[in-house]
Amino acid sequence: MTKTLFSKDSRETWFYGIMGLLVFLLVWQAACIFTDFGRIFPTPGVSLSAFFHAFIEPIGRYTLLGHISISLRRVLIGYTLSSISGIIIGLLMGYSKLAHAIIYPIFSIIRPIPGIAWIPLAILWIGIGEPTIHFIIFMGGFSQMVMNTMDGAQHIDMELVGVAKVLGAKESQIFRKIVLPSSIPYIFTGLQTSLSTSWMAVLAAEMITAREGAGWLIIAGMQTGKIENNVIGMISIGAVGLVLATLLRNSERRLCRWSVRSR
Amino acid sequence: MVSTKQIVKEETIIKLENISKTFLVEDGEARVIDKIDMEIRENEFLVLFGAGQCGKTTLLKMLAGLENKTEGKILLGGKEMKGFDPGIGMVYQTTALFPWLSVMGNVEFGPKARGVSKKERQKQAQYYIDLVGLKGFEKHFPSMLSGGMCQRVGIARAYCNDPKIILMDEPFGHLDAQTRYMMEEEVEKIWDREKRTIVFVTNNIEEALYLADRIIILTECPAKVLKEYTIDLPRPRDLVSPEFLSLREEISSLVDLREGADNE
Amino acid sequence: MKEKTKYIVISIISFVLFLVIWDLVSKSGLISAKKLPAPSKLFETFIYKIFNKNPDGNTLGIHILTSLKEALIGFFFGIVIGVPLGISMAWFKKFDKFFSPLFDLIKPIPPVGWVPIMITFFGIGIMSKVSVIFIASFIPAVINSYSGIKQTRDVHKWVAQTFGASDRQVLFTVAIPSAGPMIFTGARVALNGSWVSLVAAELIASTKGLGYMIQTARLVGRIDVVFVGVLVIGVFGAIMMEALSLLERRFVKGGRRS
Repeated sequence: MTKTLFSKDSRETWFYGIMGLLVFLLVWQAACIFTDFGRIFPTPGVSLSAFFHAFIEPIGRYTLLGHISISLRRVLIGYTLSSISGIIIGLLMGYSKLAHAIIYPIFSIIRPIPGIAWIPLAILWIGIGEPTIHFIIFMGGFSQMVMNTMDGAQHIDMELVGVAKVLGAKESQIFRKIVLPSSIPYIFTGLQTSLSTSWMAVLAAEMITAREGAGWLIIAGMQTGKIENNVIGMISIGAVGLVLATLLRNSERRLCRWSVRSR
Repeated sequence: MVSTKQIVKEETIIKLENISKTFLVEDGEARVIDKIDMEIRENEFLVLFGAGQCGKTTLLKMLAGLENKTEGKILLGGKEMKGFDPGIGMVYQTTALFPWLSVMGNVEFGPKARGVSKKERQKQAQYYIDLVGLKGFEKHFPSMLSGGMCQRVGIARAYCNDPKIILMDEPFGHLDAQTRYMMEEEVEKIWDREKRTIVFVTNNIEEALYLADRIIILTECPAKVLKEYTIDLPRPRDLVSPEFLSLREEISSLVDLREGADNE
Repeated sequence: MKEKTKYIVISIISFVLFLVIWDLVSKSGLISAKKLPAPSKLFETFIYKIFNKNPDGNTLGIHILTSLKEALIGFFFGIVIGVPLGISMAWFKKFDKFFSPLFDLIKPIPPVGWVPIMITFFGIGIMSKVSVIFIASFIPAVINSYSGIKQTRDVHKWVAQTFGASDRQVLFTVAIPSAGPMIFTGARVALNGSWVSLVAAELIASTKGLGYMIQTARLVGRIDVVFVGVLVIGVFGAIMMEALSLLERRFVKGGRRS
């Protein structure tokens, strides 16, 4: 059942897909020419050329790639920290009822607070700078990581634990050999949602407190009236978001091949 | 439909002529059904029996209008069948109940789709719910029922559309042995009270012999008609009577032999 | 049962201890009250903010109402447009082929990324926020209703088809109900996203709302007001999610599909 490029169905897919994009571009172009939209918004052509220029000419202090790599570095730091601590606390709360009883009430105050809402507090606590941004990203991903991991550790097959106990496994062995592996699919779900939240948090943080990065790029576009920079920023943010999500999905597929949850 | 004890003349209601089915697979074609001719008679309990996985379900889905045939003709009441026919109902392998509808909602689904008034269709549905022994469970959702009960609902749902023919695709394959025996008895009783043509697919020989008026034995991939038996043992059948056992022996060895030959 | 009470007691002790330590740390000056106001102080501020317009020009109630109004309007339109679009994309092939590439284009852009453009278009009033929230809830609404319909089990469609149901009937009586739980999952993601992007949009540019309240309080150094605002944001987020769960229990019958 291999689909070739020229099969009827696949030709149709291409046809309608390209039609859709063309209609979108035409509406954009027409809106720029015939309505007030054009006074504030660049045409598709201008946006595209600005996009390619941005790879060479710096906007603010860096080129487009520079801004993106700064944002990526921030995400990576905050995300790594939130993932590690989220997994640890999640496993703890999922596996030990005592830890759950102690931590959960306090955790449930923090849980519903969006990472972005921490921005003003973080600035007051830490001041403006990199650690503040890392902290905001951390808070963005942390609760999701904890919740997903906890869910995983609570859904382990108690029969497996029973078998292991009969076979004389120690508590620590049970944890490493059963609880951890069975939580991994859940952890991956957490890693995915938390990554997209982190990516969103870095943008918000950069819009408010930074002088560089992809978030700054789009807010500066707005503030200086250069909307094409705004458009460029959005395109690259979307592209990076897509790449990150795809990378993580592929690694999940490789690491959790046995799991039904990963398809 | 009143059951008449005196069997008039069993009329053919479905006729399969030279039916074949070929699926396209990656490296060419796979033939799963090969030139099957078959007659299905009114109000008989016909069992399609075969050991393998392939062909039987596809054949049933063709009868239900869910699968196209590659070659051949299916004649329903003398006319060629095209697509779905409301005169044919189906009971599926796994629980095909709608989880978001109650037992009542599931059973009245068919009449509702045809636009029967609420009062009328609920009266019908209630009759069949009572018939399959689920009185009192009308408001339950499928997730609250056991596997056997779910299949009862499935049977009631098929009956409630008042079809002439009911197709059953290994309906008890997923039940435990005990429930399975109970359900077989139940189906026989229902069939006795509400005569319909039943075409029943199974790979369990006891089930086949217990239920069938007629057994058609199909070969494995591609499915062909191997042999046909008319079972006229008195009902309800005694699973350990010598006749039953010898028939069972005969059919099993037939199927075993075939498989042995295929494997060479 | 006895074990359960034991853990509840531990939870209560842990929580009380947490508050007491927080209070002590703040009052003893171990961490300056300018960085960490005591819980008792926060409660005072909370009561104060209910009646007082300082430092940001509006009482707490007005901020809450503004934020809720913006979030719910955007959410409502996101769902009302997103769910039908997702369903049509899943059911009608041509629709799918036409909209999918476009949708794939905007899908990976985080809703926050739309804030500047929307402000450019609509100014800092309610429209810019509503449109950002619209996007934040529209995207998950489309994705989830789309995959909900796509996951309709064949056998369920067969049942309806053999009963002579038309294509339309199959869609409305089988595909959409079976997608119900997925659609609600989408609504939950959407609501969460709405609340998050609302706060972001208000932080960046606005004149009212909870996000604006904490941003202004930050600028004038009123950390107690920031704290109260952040907690209120959390509480209302949780309340809205709970309301949605109640709604789901009313509409999705027969339990979630496993």
